[in-house]
Amino acid sequence: MKLGVFVSDYKLAVDTLDRMKGENLGIVLVQNGVYHAVLKEGGKESALLGKTPRLYALSEDLQTRGLRPEQVDKRVKVVDYSGLVDVIFNDFEKVAWL
Amino acid sequence: MADVKCAFIVQRPQYKGETSRLAMTHALSYQTVEVLLEDGDTVTPSLCFVGEGILGISKGQNAIAPYGINSSELHAKNCLLVDMDVYVCKEDMERFGITEDQLPDAEDMGAEKKINVVPFAQIEKIMEEAKHVLFF
Amino acid sequence: MGVLTMGVFPGLVGSGCYDFALKLAGAAADKGHVVNLWFSGNATVSVKAHQKHLKDYSTGEKYLVELMEKGVEICTCEACTVSRGIQKTESIAKIQWNAMHWYLSKIHSADRVLQIGGE
Repeated sequence: MKLGVFVSDYKLAVDTLDRMKGENLGIVLVQNGVYHAVLKEGGKESALLGKTPRLYALSEDLQTRGLRPEQVDKRVKVVDYSGLVDVIFNDFEKVAWL
Repeated sequence: MADVKCAFIVQRPQYKGETSRLAMTHALSYQTVEVLLEDGDTVTPSLCFVGEGILGISKGQNAIAPYGINSSELHAKNCLLVDMDVYVCKEDMERFGITEDQLPDAEDMGAEKKINVVPFAQIEKIMEEAKHVLFF
Repeated sequence: MGVLTMGVFPGLVGSGCYDFALKLAGAAADKGHVVNLWFSGNATVSVKAHQKHLKDYSTGEKYLVELMEKGVEICTCEACTVSRGIQKTESIAKIQWNAMHWYLSKIHSADRVLQIGGE
């Protein structure tokens, strides 16, 4: 279904995303969700990074938190708001905010 | 003339926050949206409860006495009354030890619709078939 | 060009999600997309006029006016708004007041819907 899921938290209060099949899923990391693209908690990267190859993080939210683009996992494409608009319309059939 | 299917997915418990209730009240407004649409156009919501969201529709709620607000149970019953398709995740029912007889119906209000207890895979299918998916 | 309809539930102050929604709306409008914004829940407080912008707090009014100048349609849930003690006469000009079916009608015409919940 090419669903783009927006993740805005680092610690997710819901497990919906864990249960969704990854093949047609994309993940857009915004707000505190951008920490998934950078942190290795206890030496381990976020499980979200293995969920799908379609991963995006919002540059403005990285910048706000003092996170540099070179810290971002290579699988994650960094986009700005303008780029995010294109992702919403061109890369997914529908989008949802967790 | 077009019908737009929407999946309203309630994944959070009720009362501490209001988004779960707002999911139901927004879904209910499909009954009156036609006043703002062209003739023949419709919106059809499917209301799905998953994860902790299922905790909010148990029978026997009374939020009026302690807090003066309508219960989520009442909103769920209203959804059945207006013939909305309401689904509850079977795996989550089992996880939280909730049985089907703990789910409300709206027979006392004259509703024929019942809550459907379905596997999560079916809720995913509803999301696939919907044009838009809204998480609450 | 497409139609983006967003449901915004978080409050103006205390949640960065509101700021996100307004920035995204502006970026989409700048690219020529049609954008509709529906405020419900605590987001409705942001329609009150005469907000003072202090740099420790997010600001809404200035951006809402700019968005409407770009053609973005903004509507607040009347029930949510009056329940928070805000009357229509106190609202930022040109923000629409309506019931929840306004949001569903804009969902009907949308190519993409982004529902941003309040928790």
